Amino acid sequence: MFNRVVPFAMMPLLAFVNGAVANELNPDVSITLDGYYKQNDTALSHREEGFGLGHTELSLSAPIDDMFSGRLTTVFEEHDGEGEILIEEAYLQTNGLPAGLSVRGGRFLSQVGYLNSRHLHEDDFVERPAVYRALLGSHYYDTGLRVNALLPTPFFWQVGAEAFEGDQLSEGEESIGVYTLNTRVGGDLSVSQSWQLGLSYLNNRNIGAGEAEEEHDHEGDHDHSHGASYTGENLYVADAVWKWSPNGNAREQQVTLSGEYLYADDLNEYATSDDDHKGWYVSGVYQFAPQWSAGVRYGEVDLRAPHGDHFHSQSLQETDVMLAWSRSHFSTIRLQYTHQSDTGFSEADNTVMVQYVMSLGAHGAHGY
Amino acid sequence: MRYTRWFFITILFGLVSLPARADFQVFACEPEWAALVQEFVPDAQVTTATSYLQDPHYIEARPSLIAAMRGADLAVCTGASLEAGWLPTLLQRASNPAVQPGRSGLFFAAEYAQLHAPHEHVDRSMGDVHPEGNPHVHLSPDQLPAIADSLAHRLGQLRPEASGDILARYIRWRGRWSQHRAEWRQKAEALQGHTIVIQHTNFSYLLDWLGMDARFELEPKPGLPPSASHLSQLLTEPGLMHVDAILIASHQDPQPANWLANQIQKPVLVVPGTVTDSGETQTLAGLISMIVNTLEATVQEEPGGGL
Repeated sequence: MFNRVVPFAMMPLLAFVNGAVANELNPDVSITLDGYYKQNDTALSHREEGFGLGHTELSLSAPIDDMFSGRLTTVFEEHDGEGEILIEEAYLQTNGLPAGLSVRGGRFLSQVGYLNSRHLHEDDFVERPAVYRALLGSHYYDTGLRVNALLPTPFFWQVGAEAFEGDQLSEGEESIGVYTLNTRVGGDLSVSQSWQLGLSYLNNRNIGAGEAEEEHDHEGDHDHSHGASYTGENLYVADAVWKWSPNGNAREQQVTLSGEYLYADDLNEYATSDDDHKGWYVSGVYQFAPQWSAGVRYGEVDLRAPHGDHFHSQSLQETDVMLAWSRSHFSTIRLQYTHQSDTGFSEADNTVMVQYVMSLGAHGAHGY
Repeated sequence: MRYTRWFFITILFGLVSLPARADFQVFACEPEWAALVQEFVPDAQVTTATSYLQDPHYIEARPSLIAAMRGADLAVCTGASLEAGWLPTLLQRASNPAVQPGRSGLFFAAEYAQLHAPHEHVDRSMGDVHPEGNPHVHLSPDQLPAIADSLAHRLGQLRPEASGDILARYIRWRGRWSQHRAEWRQKAEALQGHTIVIQHTNFSYLLDWLGMDARFELEPKPGLPPSASHLSQLLTEPGLMHVDAILIASHQDPQPANWLANQIQKPVLVVPGTVTDSGETQTLAGLISMIVNTLEATVQEEPGGGL
């Protein structure tokens, strides 16, 4: 229903349906329009003040044959008046390997943490939490390989490993610059409540190599490379999600509570055991009517910005309050107020933002 | 950090592997298909993804459903894009080879029905219109036997050792269905030509079959929640004074229906949109009988019959 054209081939149905036959073999095309107005610049933000375009994306996806399906997602972004086109996803995915295994290869979003593997347009707030913006560049995607196994337990339990080139996180010499491990468990508490917990580990070998002379600019918060501004050799993420809706009918009402804790250490060859990045956030969103939702999010991040052979401490506390209206499942208009207080950032400020997120064309199924 | 890393690896890969269960496991997207499967294979372990209190369009691919899909020998769903918002994710995340599209373990009921109102051209300004046609086919007295027939054959194919029993149960079910259908046909005479307001097209197959007129909808466009402006516009419709009642499903918000009912002084009928866990409505035949009886009682109470 979220999807006009069935995203997987339903071939026998064609015998009954005359419409859209010619389109069935074409990939599903979906376009996401994301635009905003932002009153003031804020720290660690990827969105500049004034009118701007956010994460405008064009995505093509289709089954390749009965074994593989594929997706290409390109993103158009603009910074300081210069447009650029990025490839965010270009992957193949296996369908139904034995023993609960699945493999994804190419470029894709890493599955560390809860938010990272989701598309930005699925988010409930205009921007990712500060700790995500600092440590993962909002969303970490890279070129590599993923193997996941879903274990044959009565509850949901998935384990997975990824290996990436690593250049999207930090430049380096290693041919496999990043690998990740991830596990996730989840289930239902009752017909109305469901939950999921996750633990992830990311190893950034480009930093361990010790030669990575990173060009951190002095402020540390004005970095428009798409990698993370703050990295460490080891990154640990713990995440938790709980959802509630009366009788499980998410159409009418739903409460979503989620939180994550991120910790990175071994920042570079000068780092002592006291030098680490850490941060967390907690978010609560209440969809109180089919078309309306309201949410609050609080997050903190404590960072050690490398500066030659020593570090500068930086910290940011951020509170977001938002109200969103969705005419249909395909259109959202959001009003958000963000309050920042900081140590060591020059641009921390409070701001009001208005954002729209519109989906045109096929609309892929969402995850949990 | 070495120990922490080993700790993680142990958590990730250390424990694992309960023995696989031997029984026949079925994943039903909606309760009507669970009820049919249980009718034909009473010892099947059935997980139902939705209930009569939930809107089947809006289900999330939550962890418990992924786990249930992983072990399924058969997944029975409606198809026709009804589950397009969550089933593809479930199938992909569960990575169960038995139930992938094109395999015999994935059964779409809509493939065995003639759907009403297919569209050659759809765009979203029309609302949430399915190009394949109206997917809420489980309340169609004429189409259900064809779906049940295909389902029984599919079950027999997947469980060859029990296929004789499955076929026998199907034939008995079919006989009972025909008797019920004759009763409903009789009752339909009193309902013929009466007008009913609905919220969404989920009862359309049955109302059409009964010869009732269900052209008034509370939703301004399919899939959009009823709005104040649409309801006030509905009030100006000259045909509205002839309606007998407003019929909504248990999972739909009753407020818009109650508001309109107050304005036009007609009753609101709330019935399950699909089979329930217990009581007379736990089978599809029981549910249709209950809806038909409710409509019949309402029409008889109406002075002048509403024609």
